[in-house]
Amino acid sequence: MAETIKRIPVKTFADVVTARRQALDLSLAMGFPMPEATKIAVVVSELGRNIMLYAGEGTITLLPNEAERYFKLIAQDQGPGIEDIDLALTEHYSTSGGLGLGLSGSKRMMDEFEVWSVVGVGTRITAVRYLH
Amino acid sequence: MNGTGTVGAIQKLENMLLVAVPRDLMDTDVLHLRREVLQAIRRYNSRWVLLDFSRVDICDSFFGRFIQSTAQMAGLMGAEVIISGLQDAVIETMVELGMTLADITAVLDLDDALVLSRETDQRSSESDTSDSDTENILLDEEV
Ligand SMILES: Nc1ncnc2c1ncn2[C@@H]1O[C@H](COP(=O)(O)OP(=O)(O)O)[C@@H](O)[C@H]1O
Ligand SMILES: [Mg+2]
Repeated sequence: MAETIKRIPVKTFADVVTARRQALDLSLAMGFPMPEATKIAVVVSELGRNIMLYAGEGTITLLPNEAERYFKLIAQDQGPGIEDIDLALTEHYSTSGGLGLGLSGSKRMMDEFEVWSVVGVGTRITAVRYLH
Repeated sequence: MNGTGTVGAIQKLENMLLVAVPRDLMDTDVLHLRREVLQAIRRYNSRWVLLDFSRVDICDSFFGRFIQSTAQMAGLMGAEVIISGLQDAVIETMVELGMTLADITAVLDLDDALVLSRETDQRSSESDTSDSDTENILLDEEV
């Protein structure tokens, strides 16, 4: 079965909207029920906003895999990077006066959630949700 | 209907403002919308602000922040924010994301919001008769 790969450049809020809408549509199309698809879309939204806010620009790649029954997404940027990843994943931790729920909440909503980040190099977050 | 070309249409019903929260709320829209809400509270002397979320299907933590900050500012002006129209999938996601919104009342729809506001207003006018009389007479006249 052919895989769809959608690579979306993220710079403005309109890009985040595009990415999260596509995430919702693609996950619904492969059979995720509405609440699950909504979670995937919200994760895309959170990571997309983080790219905008902290890195200025980056990309979100959506990799729905119908044959393997999972939805994978990768958010990456060449921004400032995250100094302390554990701290960034702590609930309510924010360096921008935000709610500090983007990373911690996204991690909770996905089955796999991996943060790679190097200060001065950038950040790449890979997340997977399985279709049970 | 108030204001074409504005971010969210704000309508007035009794002593409540109805705010249709747009589906994709932009960072810049938030400031506008919040400002419009505050102006409308002052203009109509509103006691309730109903944020209608029925158009919103992807509700991230940014919306949560919008709800909180709007509630805080409205509170300083003596108005209470309630939210309505949250879809099941949205509620589930908000909870899992960690958005507790502890002191915000959520209702199913506009009817429930009106029941809540009328009952609460009635109770408060019964409990302190002297001060709130004039206020209630004014509000009654507007209906
Ligand atoms: N792409 C990124 N690049 C650099 N720092 C980031 C990135 N994403 C998140 N962070 C850091 O992690 C913190 C927590 O992020 P998040 O949980 O989304 O909360 P919030 O965005 O509300 O601050 C941010 O305040 C920021 O310091
Ligand atoms: Mg964030």
